[in-house]
Amino acid sequence: MRFWALFKRDVLVSWRKKSNIYQPLVFQLLIVTMFPLGLGAGAQTLAKVAPAVVWILALLSTLITLENIFKDDYEDGSLDLYVLSGMNLYLATLSKASAHWVTTGIPVILFAPVIAVLMHLPEHTYGVLLLSLLLATPIFSLLGTVGSALIMNIRNGGMLLSVLVMPLLAPVLIFGAGAVLETSLGNSARGHLMLLLGCTVLSLTLAPLAAAAAIKINLE
Amino acid sequence: MNRIVKFYHEMGSPPSFYRITRHWLKPMLFLAIVLTLYGLIDGLFFAPTDYQQGDSYRIIFVHVPAAWMSMFIYAIIGIAGIITFVWRMKVAEAVMMACVPIGALFTVITLLTGMLWGKPMWGTYWDWDARMTSELILLFLYIGVMGIYSAYEEDPRKAARLAALVAIIGLVNLPIIRYSVVWWTSIHQGSSISLMGGSNGIKDWDMLRPLLVMALATKFYFIYSMLSRAQSYLLKTESKKQWVKQVIKKELSGDQS
Repeated sequence: MRFWALFKRDVLVSWRKKSNIYQPLVFQLLIVTMFPLGLGAGAQTLAKVAPAVVWILALLSTLITLENIFKDDYEDGSLDLYVLSGMNLYLATLSKASAHWVTTGIPVILFAPVIAVLMHLPEHTYGVLLLSLLLATPIFSLLGTVGSALIMNIRNGGMLLSVLVMPLLAPVLIFGAGAVLETSLGNSARGHLMLLLGCTVLSLTLAPLAAAAAIKINLE
Repeated sequence: MNRIVKFYHEMGSPPSFYRITRHWLKPMLFLAIVLTLYGLIDGLFFAPTDYQQGDSYRIIFVHVPAAWMSMFIYAIIGIAGIITFVWRMKVAEAVMMACVPIGALFTVITLLTGMLWGKPMWGTYWDWDARMTSELILLFLYIGVMGIYSAYEEDPRKAARLAALVAIIGLVNLPIIRYSVVWWTSIHQGSSISLMGGSNGIKDWDMLRPLLVMALATKFYFIYSMLSRAQSYLLKTESKKQWVKQVIKKELSGDQS
């Protein structure tokens, strides 16, 4: 099936170019070092902001990778080939988003506990943290395909991509970081996680449509 | 042909749109200026002083109409965006792109007047309450639409369609953003300050009147500004077309009809 062929190719390309995978993690590590330096290294101070920091780092480190989802394919012409091959663009963008999630989202999820330890996040919140990231990272990738499809033939489009994607990610951050925060305060995170799941489902259905539309306009 | 249908079709064609709406500019501007003057004078000097907020509440006569416009214009952008996207109408593109800077301007005015109002009322210029936060995010959405358009400016039609797509995505997300932000603040702060909501709304006609007049004035200003921007947008993007040449020739010869 073309979906899997494209998916396999993208994962393989990212895997061969290792920097795609470790760059976001190195970025997280660099930035998380700034917090104790700026805030003071007290465990209590850090624990207070930890849910937000871990979450925002996951978000930002994904954000820096989004620009390239379609850029390379656009520049070497393979994107034209996808379109010419008659492949359903909805499935093509879904495949791109899945591949991006596997190569960026999963490493970010797996790396989150490391950041959490460095930020003294209370241990009983780890489960919710991982669950919230598991629900949210697909949204990053899906909205990322939309943003990337919009800016793929602009030079230095990264800033514009942030402007386009950030407002859409605000609810995700509210629900995701909110879930971890509520757990750390001893409350139930159920409501937040449910709403986050709603966002995941919504972007899973709608984002490929928008990305496909953007590709069509861009290749006209 | 039915007159309304005919009018509708005429408005869809750039030359007729230009020809018809050119005559609307002056009356709209006139109404906007007169109503603004009336509304401001009435609001600043004749409306009764608020028993709680004193005179500083009077910024409401600028703040609230601007806030209404900031959201109203985004809705128009969304509708024009859908028309642009589905039917590729040039006039819809022009209207949409004409709306964006005006909407962004009203959003900035809303935020600034809100901050100025916040200082005497809440003791701080900025408070992350639901309205301010979602207004700020609305500004980001406006900036996004402007940004994508200017990135593709060499190809205005493509730029307009991509901007339309961004506007539609924003429109779909606006309710989600809005409710998530409302909910987020309700968790952190208990109840946020409600100035107009529920039974505490303005009941005094002397206070309401300038507010409504100002709301009308901003509408007329919007129509004026939007139409004149849309007209120059069409002149610019259609500059190779015959009708533009005729328009220019006509206006150079001083014929205003």
